[in-house]
Amino acid sequence: MIDDSTLQQIREGIKHGKFPVRAFNDEEIYQLEQERLFSKAWCFLAHESEIPSPGDYVTRYISNNNIIVARDEHGVVHANLNMCRHRGNMMCKSEMGNASHFRCSYHGWTYKNSGELIGVPYMKEGYEGRLKRKDWGLVTVRIESYAGLIFGTLDPDAMSLDDYLGDFRFYLDLYLRHGEQGVEVYGAPDHWVADTNWKICAENFAGDGYHTPVAHQWGFTLGYYPSSGSTHSQGWAASIPGRGHGVGLGHSPNFPPFGGFPDELVADMRRTFTPAQVEVFEKVRTAVGTVFPNLSFLMQPLSLIPGEPGVRFVTMRLYHPVGPGRMEMYSWCLVPKGASQEYRDASYKAYTLAFGQAGTFEQDDFENWTKVTKSAKYTMAKDLEFPYIMGMESEPATDFAGPGHVVTPYVNDTNFRNMWERWGDYLLGEV
Amino acid sequence: MAIDRETKLDIAEFLYRESLALDERRFRDWLGYLADDIEYVMPVRVAREGQAEWELSPTSRIFDDNRDTLEVRIRRLETDFSWSEQPPSRTRHYITNVIVDPGEEDDEYLVSTNCFIYRSRGVEPDPSFYSLARKDTVRRTPDGWRLARRWAALDQSLVNAHNLSIFI
Repeated sequence: MIDDSTLQQIREGIKHGKFPVRAFNDEEIYQLEQERLFSKAWCFLAHESEIPSPGDYVTRYISNNNIIVARDEHGVVHANLNMCRHRGNMMCKSEMGNASHFRCSYHGWTYKNSGELIGVPYMKEGYEGRLKRKDWGLVTVRIESYAGLIFGTLDPDAMSLDDYLGDFRFYLDLYLRHGEQGVEVYGAPDHWVADTNWKICAENFAGDGYHTPVAHQWGFTLGYYPSSGSTHSQGWAASIPGRGHGVGLGHSPNFPPFGGFPDELVADMRRTFTPAQVEVFEKVRTAVGTVFPNLSFLMQPLSLIPGEPGVRFVTMRLYHPVGPGRMEMYSWCLVPKGASQEYRDASYKAYTLAFGQAGTFEQDDFENWTKVTKSAKYTMAKDLEFPYIMGMESEPATDFAGPGHVVTPYVNDTNFRNMWERWGDYLLGEV
Repeated sequence: MAIDRETKLDIAEFLYRESLALDERRFRDWLGYLADDIEYVMPVRVAREGQAEWELSPTSRIFDDNRDTLEVRIRRLETDFSWSEQPPSRTRHYITNVIVDPGEEDDEYLVSTNCFIYRSRGVEPDPSFYSLARKDTVRRTPDGWRLARRWAALDQSLVNAHNLSIFI
């Protein structure tokens, strides 16, 4: 059994650049994560644009709990456990839809989409006045949102979402505030299962610039990148101490400011972003970041034909663990609300070629990640550790306008040390 | 307009040969079966109520390819770095229930088929299975039959495979 002193050793170890292999596929650690991390942290549920109209809902998970995220008739979003309070049947068996009410298919208890119980068959004859409807609404999940992202937490005492995201909001805006109208989902997410531990994905997207020239080497070979293998390490790694979030910001020499965005959108973004954000964002070719624990974003230009000027796309992804070595992957493409349909379509096409389960970049990532997950269970790997020592001695960058702990180059472990230290805080119950 | 038996048999054989090229990993040959203006589309399926307006997303696509991007995928497989296909998937396409209807153009036919794909890789004992509905547009040209459109929808909503590095 993993006890607190082992967890303390792990957390101390990551500060010195070591993290245990077994953390990436271990039943006990998985159970601890369910109890102490995913039941305490702010977990991503949905983007507001997935449920734009009254009655719209999607069903998502926090830990193993299926949650209905619905917009009521007044436009207010609610999140409730997808379980009838009478005998526990699942209320809503679809991934998305529109309904003003949910009626249980077992005994017929009926709830408003806000979760309020309004209908109980044989109320008078059966319950004889002993059942108070207001006591038996669906179990509510606390939600808060930032720039269209709806998060939920099972911890009533959790800090506010703004506090939880902290200074990472500065970087999140790069994905979410493309002009005054912001972004929306292009459509329903790709959704698939993989024999992969969620942490491998979360770490990779917290700024693993190191893997790109090798894991996606075919892209360099075909001439896909505006950077070459030799310049690829340029850029910054920004992490938010004490929060676990991190982003890698890749830069290429001579990369045009905001390259790959249409001109009118760039003008709009220059008005929406703060001067400090403009200074940081205009230099960024690739931005790959993770909101601790398991929500990630990637933005980069990609052309359909190698060598042609790329079109920017943004993907948002959620790694939902369903076992120590298994997860459900959700992958969305976000597009600017205010941009032309032509740009939005081109951006989505670039996304599908690169990401989603047939995406040429995604394919190789999952190939590697399933193999890492398999190795992490080897008996010979039980007491091994991985090195997380890149950037141990790096001094924070001084000429950088963004917040957090920022180091160069882009190829760095600093974000990951910060992330797994925070993971240790949660597993030790010290949040 | 009735479609003669010979045309139907020709089209079925064309689709069998096209899928054989995939199963034998002769991807350049496979490109030869495609029209220059090929549309290659796989919509995202969403689990919804029976009465919902759609179950296949009107906007989201797993594949949204044309000839250029299909060629990029094949060039990728021809490098030494297409890790998802190293070692390569062993696929077997089973094409059944071939129904041929007239297309929008005189030389085109709409072909509805069931497609079942068995996929095995490396020494993994558990294969992946994909069941799909396909609605293709097949075109008669002076050089033989060409695939002008492939539309294929997976029957699964939550797809049970870590990637789709194969062709459908």
